[in-house]
Amino acid sequence: MSPIGLAEVFLERLENLGPEYNAVVTITKERAMEQAERAEAEISEGNYRGPLHGIPYGAKDLLATSGGIPTTWGAAPFRNQTFDFDASVVAKLEEAGAVLASKLAMVEIAGGMGYRQPNASFTGPGKNPWNPNTWTGGSSSGSGAAVAAGLVPFAIGSETWGSILSPANNCGVTGLRPTYGRVSRFGAMALSWTLDKLGPLCLTADDCGLVLEAIAGPDPNDQTAADLEFTYDDGSKSPFKLAVLQGVLEGCGEAVKENFEDALKVLEGFATVEEIEFPDLPYEAVTRTILNAEAASAFDEFTEKGTAGELTAPECHYGPYARTAVLAKDYLKALRLRGVICRVVDEAMAPFDAVVAPSRRSPASPIDQEFRKIVPGTARDTMGAVGNGAGLPSISVPNGFTPGGCPRGSSSWGGPTRRTQ
Amino acid sequence: MIDESSKESDFLFDMVRDRYGNRLSAEELEEVRKGVEGIVKAAEALRSVKLGNGTEPFSIFKPYRKGA
Repeated sequence: MSPIGLAEVFLERLENLGPEYNAVVTITKERAMEQAERAEAEISEGNYRGPLHGIPYGAKDLLATSGGIPTTWGAAPFRNQTFDFDASVVAKLEEAGAVLASKLAMVEIAGGMGYRQPNASFTGPGKNPWNPNTWTGGSSSGSGAAVAAGLVPFAIGSETWGSILSPANNCGVTGLRPTYGRVSRFGAMALSWTLDKLGPLCLTADDCGLVLEAIAGPDPNDQTAADLEFTYDDGSKSPFKLAVLQGVLEGCGEAVKENFEDALKVLEGFATVEEIEFPDLPYEAVTRTILNAEAASAFDEFTEKGTAGELTAPECHYGPYARTAVLAKDYLKALRLRGVICRVVDEAMAPFDAVVAPSRRSPASPIDQEFRKIVPGTARDTMGAVGNGAGLPSISVPNGFTPGGCPRGSSSWGGPTRRTQ
Repeated sequence: MIDESSKESDFLFDMVRDRYGNRLSAEELEEVRKGVEGIVKAAEALRSVKLGNGTEPFSIFKPYRKGA
């Protein structure tokens, strides 16, 4: 099929099915057709840029796009916001020949204002293509739904704490959270400068590898973008050495526990699996304090003007105020402890290829319920706190279904810059 | 008896309320209070870990000169 034909198919699906899932903010038809026509001409002339040449995709609507295309951050106060440049990820994908077909829906301000339920975007709650009465997960809700529903072959999402792995888990797709700094953040909405990461959501891990290869690399506009080449290699080196964090199933629902234990039996067919323990450190307090302090600064003007009152979710109206009470000395203590955590986690993980865990403690929750009430008990999210606080890569892959037919995921993460396989 | 944690939470909440209270309802202020208590609880967890004087913040800072 030609790039023009591909673009037409996916644009039609975005137009017809996107609204069913509240997955789309803006269909970028004009830009998509221009890029598809260019790709078709280049390929026909023998100028093939690579595996993404002529392939449509969608970008989470926190990535700046030029040409008058709105970049709304999922939030009503920014619904008419435009930029005169492309985010580096968008520019890199254009360089690879990919075709931008849509800006995809997201939780308002990437969930940074403390949402507790799915209806937290001016485009409506993200409806899960597997069951529209359940939630897509967030905050990359449209990215997960669009890939699951076949509206785009791949999408770009972002994660500060859980926002790629959650929709990957709920929507039954694969989501890759790269090592912090692997992908330039230039042109992406900043929620927390030292926690934000951009990464792909695709149908398979192989596809994620191909997309990461296109978007990774240094960028003079982002001082944290690592000067490290990334070349995707799907070659195996079995047997793998895997680890499971002690207590990781605490607080998980029974179905998630059973599903993960079944997955471990499969993994043991080609990998060794050992239990490991991390030293007793306040992992969640560190990551939470960093997030709170940086978000308070990034959205200072927004907070001072009272713009939060214009957001969709009622709980987001007051979300930014408590965090203005974070003390500077506590933020700095969190940054000092982050160094300690990076070292001890690296040491604990050194003998292993990856740590494996359920992607989330529960499958997709009902579309009309507070998801924080769905998670049973007061289970800690050590995996999320360590993975994001230490900037580690992680990938969530589909791992079966609930009895009700909702997907579940398992994730694995490795040390910084390692491939997660 | 009021413990140190409660005193700190109350002090910080009062500061937030003084600054932003006029735009929030009583119910919203109560949620903000819970948020401040969570922030103080996290801070106490951080403060409970002793670090040496030489343990620096784990962040990147490089003096900047255009083109260098």
